[in-house]
Amino acid sequence: MSDRRVGPGLQEDVGIPTFDDRERALGAAPVVEPATPAEWVRENLFSSRFNTVITLVVGSLLGFFLYQISKFVFVTAEWAVVANNLRGFMVGPFPVEQIWRVWVSAYVVAVLGGLSAGASPNRITWTRRKRVVGVLVAIVATVLVVLLVDTMLVLTLTFGVVATAAAMLFVGRRQGGRLRRPLLVAWLLSFPAIMVLVVGFGGVSPRLWGGFFFNLVAATVGIFLSFPIGILLALGRRSSLPAVRSFSVVFIEIFRGVPLVAWLIFSKFVVGLLLPPQMNEPPDIIKALIVMTFFSAAYVAEIVRGGLQGIHEGQYEAARALGLSTTRMMAFVVLPQALRSTIPAMISHFISLYKDTALFVAIQVTDLLAAARRSAVGLQYFGRIKETLLFAGLLFWIVAFSMSRWSQRLETRLGVGIR
Amino acid sequence: MTEQQGSGNGATHMIVADNVKKWFGQFQALHGISMRVGKAETVVIVGPSGSGKSTFIRTINRLERHDEGRIFVDGIELTDDIRNISQVRSEIGMVFQSFNLFPHLTVSDNITLAPRNVRHWPKKKADEKAMQLLERVGIPEQAQKYPGQLSGGQQQRVAIARALAMEPKIMLFDEPTSALDPEMIKEVLDVMEELAESGMTMIVVSHEIGFARHVADRVMLFDAGKLVEEAAPDKFFDSPEHERTKAFLSQIL
Amino acid sequence: MLRVLAQILFVVAVFLVLRELFLNAGFNLGQRNEDLSFDFMRTRAGFGIKEHIIAYSPNQSFVRAFLVAATNSMFVAAVGIALTTILGIIIGVARLSPNWLLRKMAQVYVEIVRNVPLLVQVIFWYSGVILTIPRIQDSLSLFGIAFVSNRGAAVPGIEGGADFNVWFLFALAGIIAAAAVRRYRTKLHDETGQPHYRFLFGTATFLVVAAAGYLLLGDPFSIRVPEQEVRGYAGGLQFSPEFAGILIALVLYTAAFIGEIVRGSILAVEKGQKEAAEALGLRPGQQLRLVVLPQAMRVAIPPINNQYLNLWKNTSLAFAIAFPDLINITTTMINQGGAELQIFSLVVLTYLGVSLLISLVMNIVNRTVALRGAKL
Repeated sequence: MSDRRVGPGLQEDVGIPTFDDRERALGAAPVVEPATPAEWVRENLFSSRFNTVITLVVGSLLGFFLYQISKFVFVTAEWAVVANNLRGFMVGPFPVEQIWRVWVSAYVVAVLGGLSAGASPNRITWTRRKRVVGVLVAIVATVLVVLLVDTMLVLTLTFGVVATAAAMLFVGRRQGGRLRRPLLVAWLLSFPAIMVLVVGFGGVSPRLWGGFFFNLVAATVGIFLSFPIGILLALGRRSSLPAVRSFSVVFIEIFRGVPLVAWLIFSKFVVGLLLPPQMNEPPDIIKALIVMTFFSAAYVAEIVRGGLQGIHEGQYEAARALGLSTTRMMAFVVLPQALRSTIPAMISHFISLYKDTALFVAIQVTDLLAAARRSAVGLQYFGRIKETLLFAGLLFWIVAFSMSRWSQRLETRLGVGIR
Repeated sequence: MTEQQGSGNGATHMIVADNVKKWFGQFQALHGISMRVGKAETVVIVGPSGSGKSTFIRTINRLERHDEGRIFVDGIELTDDIRNISQVRSEIGMVFQSFNLFPHLTVSDNITLAPRNVRHWPKKKADEKAMQLLERVGIPEQAQKYPGQLSGGQQQRVAIARALAMEPKIMLFDEPTSALDPEMIKEVLDVMEELAESGMTMIVVSHEIGFARHVADRVMLFDAGKLVEEAAPDKFFDSPEHERTKAFLSQIL
Repeated sequence: MLRVLAQILFVVAVFLVLRELFLNAGFNLGQRNEDLSFDFMRTRAGFGIKEHIIAYSPNQSFVRAFLVAATNSMFVAAVGIALTTILGIIIGVARLSPNWLLRKMAQVYVEIVRNVPLLVQVIFWYSGVILTIPRIQDSLSLFGIAFVSNRGAAVPGIEGGADFNVWFLFALAGIIAAAAVRRYRTKLHDETGQPHYRFLFGTATFLVVAAAGYLLLGDPFSIRVPEQEVRGYAGGLQFSPEFAGILIALVLYTAAFIGEIVRGSILAVEKGQKEAAEALGLRPGQQLRLVVLPQAMRVAIPPINNQYLNLWKNTSLAFAIAFPDLINITTTMINQGGAELQIFSLVVLTYLGVSLLISLVMNIVNRTVALRGAKL
């Protein structure tokens, strides 16, 4: 225990140290070394009695879980159920001979994705920790792919997608900001283009879409189409015309207040009811997608509404003072700002929408989750539901997690978001 | 184990800092500050922004932890295993640049919160003390209002009253008037002057030269984490010794 | 001028679209010979429901079946909301803990649970965990008084005796007495500054009165320990695997979101507030209780309300595991007797209605927190 009185060398009545003394005492101060591992452990895990207890309890629980999980993954699990059903998981009942369309779409996305990542101004700072994690992830992913994929063709194609994306990353870096506009147009066109590719020219009807492919497509459709509809609804809700406003409010509240599952199950009925009888009835899956789009649009409307509410009065006043018409004001001043401030909430909603595509199981669509369930029911792999669910969960998780990380980076870059 | 409480062992300085160094990551914010503040002394610290003034003053009540060197407050050393840091802190009052009043409590409750919960005063005694202090800082009529309803100058005066409610031996002021509109600065400085004259030991980080000249017993210049010069106000402002002091003064005077 | 014209055109367009939709609906319904009355609701249901909070038999009407379904869903939601709030607060605080291990584990938990579709988690807990627990003959037992198997779980339950209602009055009296003691202790604290410990005193008072009532009345209720039988359990409180499945998944999923909200709301409180409290000499527990949490709560309540609404709507995911919730039963009803439009509107009304109820309650809580925070 240190001597707590005024220590030696500091006389009580000593005068104020002269300037020279102080100068000598300074000099190039050494930088404090980062704490040694032992110190860090003591600081963060065992700093107090309570802390120690927590560390021990959590630590043992963690150890138990890791043991059980490892035991399952490496010993008891029969991963053949995933490997042999891989195509079903990825594209469902999609006819084999048409799968090239899916591959082409994948390459298109890889190209655009790589270019965008390369051309984007925010660089990831590669700390040592990130490098280690990155390498580990790459190794694990490669091993998984190699273990699960059975044909050389698919294996090559899969690595081809990754290679293409990486190559495009470098091209994008070289080109830089020049690509921003053309890329935006390309992304917007890519979606209808892919639709045409998959459906048109003797392609595959939506009835046969399934697997993870379906989840991704449904999410994209939902996002693309619900965005403009949602904005319209938000504007409608603020309209001064009572008819328009009440319609918007009712629409939004009903769609938001009822669970998506209910909407999907009743979609066949509701859409069938409201369409003119002369029209050919669209396939059930299209009806469900329509209903899902409106569901999403209701949420988008509320997010946009929140964004519009956040715009200062001053903006409206300034715009009017400049002589802008209402439409111009909304289009050039208000909406851009409102939309920008809602980006985090918007992305979060889209991630939810993507997760909700798993609900199509309710209307007998064989998406990834349905495929996972189904493959554990047949005689051969009965009861192997944990393996298939873990695989399905992993696929879902990868996309959702990446989107949420991307959103966080976007937020810091734009400096918006909830403070 | 016993702790030295108060000035019993003959230490005549309320605050002693010996070669205090502090780093934020790789950046060294304090380069070995040594200084002393005696009882009832008022020390004003001036200097350019980023010079470490705020960081230093916050090491005194351990809102920041110093990495090297020693700090003694009323004879008690501030170390890592100091057991009753809360008790030490209740002897030191702090006033912040952004007031930091508790928005969910009335002015009076802001002031009585610490006495009631740290010193376990009865409500009546605490409320009376609060009214006394509000009188002292000149705004007794605001007692039941909420901080959001007060002007900046009034809020800062409430903050001073709140700090005084714990009957501290030392008061620390971290740029108390920097966030105020010009017309409200004077009312706060007047309170601080009265406090200094009543015998409080004070360290004030401030840009208010008039206050420093008028009220301080000593003025110190901090620059780039070093204590460059210290002297009585007249000497400091009229005949500074060091080049950097002259440069700084020429910029602000 | 152009603006007025544009607005008129817009209104006309909306009107035409709506009219078209209505006409279509009318025509299509006519085509199917649908009668739009609710009479069918009185007919005999004719199907069984595996579990129900309120009494039911297949001889009862569709109305009854609907009510059973609705109350089933509401029960799951009520229990779920209670449990997920507790877990969510724990996770939120754990995310901010100075203990690195706890912090990281909470973070990993949140990142995993938030990014996997809830339906995957529901099916996982049900098929992957609960159904794989041992069969009834090999039930896991907890000290012989609670059992778990793939038929469900059974824990000791309360069985009311003859004077149970009277004892309830004692319990009520106990609550009133506890409130009085609480006020007395607060007054004492105000006058002398002693810590009030009013929660402890209040709880102790309630327990004393309740126990007194129990002794005086001589066994007004008993605790019935379940017994394991061949095909199920007898006695005690029983939970089906379906109920457990949907409940666990809902609670774990929503708790991750609530944890983030709690964490965010605590972080949202300005750093300066905590520093001012610290500088005044308040200990960390006091800083949290008196300064940080009151401010954090006010920020947290609207988003938590949202999560409760989500949980309520997500009870519909029970369809995937054959739990008799609103969606499941109404689908059965439609298969039996048609009348989709009527049943659909009932479904819409029920979901909207309960959502409104939850929001109303949370609104009251919000206002109370705001006021009480102001009066501390």
